[in-house]
Amino acid sequence: MTRSPVFEIFRYAAILVALAITLVPILWMVSMAFKPVAEWQASGAALTWVPLAPTLDNFRFLFGESGSDLIVALDRTAGKPILSSLLSASVGTLIAMSAGTAAAYGLSRFGSGANLPLALIQLRLFPPMAVMIPVMIMWAFLGLMDTWWGLALIYGIVTLPFAFWLMKTFFDDMPKEIEEAALVEGCSRLRVFTRVTLPMMAAPLAAASLFVFILNWSDYLIALLLTTREWVTIPVYMASLSSSMTGQLYGAKAALGLIAAVPPVILGVMIQKHLVRGLTFGALKQ
Amino acid sequence: MADRAPAPAAQPRADAPETARLGFRLTLPAQILVLFISVFPLLMQLYISLTDWSPLSGVSWPHAWEYWNSFANYTDILGDGRLWSALWRTALVIAVCVPVEFLLGLALATLFVDDFPGKRVAYSVLIMPMMVVPAVAGYMFFMLFQSGGPVNDILSWFTPEPVTLAWLSDPTLALVAVMVADIWQWTPLMFLILLAGLVGVPDDQLKAAALLGASPWARFRTIVIPRMKTIIVIALSIRVIEAFKIFDTLYIMTGGGPGVATETISVYIYKITTQDLIWGYVAAIALFILVALSVAAVWAMKRMAK
Repeated sequence: MTRSPVFEIFRYAAILVALAITLVPILWMVSMAFKPVAEWQASGAALTWVPLAPTLDNFRFLFGESGSDLIVALDRTAGKPILSSLLSASVGTLIAMSAGTAAAYGLSRFGSGANLPLALIQLRLFPPMAVMIPVMIMWAFLGLMDTWWGLALIYGIVTLPFAFWLMKTFFDDMPKEIEEAALVEGCSRLRVFTRVTLPMMAAPLAAASLFVFILNWSDYLIALLLTTREWVTIPVYMASLSSSMTGQLYGAKAALGLIAAVPPVILGVMIQKHLVRGLTFGALKQ
Repeated sequence: MADRAPAPAAQPRADAPETARLGFRLTLPAQILVLFISVFPLLMQLYISLTDWSPLSGVSWPHAWEYWNSFANYTDILGDGRLWSALWRTALVIAVCVPVEFLLGLALATLFVDDFPGKRVAYSVLIMPMMVVPAVAGYMFFMLFQSGGPVNDILSWFTPEPVTLAWLSDPTLALVAVMVADIWQWTPLMFLILLAGLVGVPDDQLKAAALLGASPWARFRTIVIPRMKTIIVIALSIRVIEAFKIFDTLYIMTGGGPGVATETISVYIYKITTQDLIWGYVAAIALFILVALSVAAVWAMKRMAK
């Protein structure tokens, strides 16, 4: 439909305002991450929107090199929390995707496990906080407390609903004829699944995996409850960063926040087509 | 019927037990994981909720019966003012944030239905907030709302005197700040879902209605809204469910404070789990919320089905 010029002006003005509101918090964190201690808000400095003397000190500080006399070097660097986040989120994704893809295929093609869709939505409906007591007891009993594999296991379960629902909508959309052709050729069902179906689903599988990875990477609450010192993840470590010398360690936290925020934002923009499906359990097909 | 050919039917029948077994095996890992995290933990939680057991009590949880308190936890819930105000506060956050996110998302989606130069870039930027790790978003807004921070600086552009509001240490303003952060992060989701719905509304119907002289509002009300009904219900329910669990952003921003001014239900449970360590009571509260949520969900689904 053609619109009036007044509408076009209004449209661009409204979108510019929305873009500004979206970007200010993100850009402020980027700016903070590159500010030297003297420009941090907490140390009573005047507010500067752009770092006057940009520096990589905050990043160096996170990895054990104190760039400034004002900050005492950290006894624990950000290296291990980053490793912990990477390991637990990746292996959690692997668990959710393997179990979820298999189950989605089983339901989509054979009708097995028809109780799963509802059970998995319920799993998502309840606040994780409300089931954490038994999980903490079980994890302590199994020796999974404060380990990255313990986190990976719970992440795999918590994101299973998303993996399952995404893959189920993808399988439902895939034409059955190709698989049937391979069956006629004499392939076994399992062979058709591994040799024909999965390779055809490579792109959807990748999108779903990235989606699940973002969810795992974003967790704060579960890691807060299930890790104490050794394998804390980036968000938990960030929250614990403080120093008697400089209070909040604004710049260092901003630098760490930037490290945590960049991967999901890039991955998210890459798979944006699938975001709606993923977040609505496939209830909305785009 | 007597002369039907048996051959075509025979092949799938011979195939059936094998495929059924394969189907079952494929769903098995997911079934085990779901059972592992649902049935057993819930029974354990029910058991613990009937006792005064805590991890500091000196006995392991199977012996929690030594601290049996015959439903006292459940009667305590009724008199727990802090719990009820946390629930009320959670409801307030939902009641403010979800409608605001919905209306902003709908407005943005309307602007994005047809093409315009720069649409793709603007779209990619606008959906960024929902990908930012919520805990990091919490820290971003913690910095923004400092008394010498950017929010006050921007407000000062419009006022004669410099604004020096102490957002996060004022009970009312802290709640406002927390809501602003939630709206910033989740309006993009509403935008995304509603845009997907709007794109699906047939253009020719809208054009026909326009030719017949229907006003934009009438077109919106009689064509767009009925078409979008399901999508609107899905978008609202998802946000209500997620907003009920609100924790990460809020806890990093305020820690539930000042005092208990921003303490929502998840923050309250987190605090009594890790600070007071009265796990029997925590289990009771958690079960109470699970039951209340299930009842609410069933009620809502029945209403929607009508």
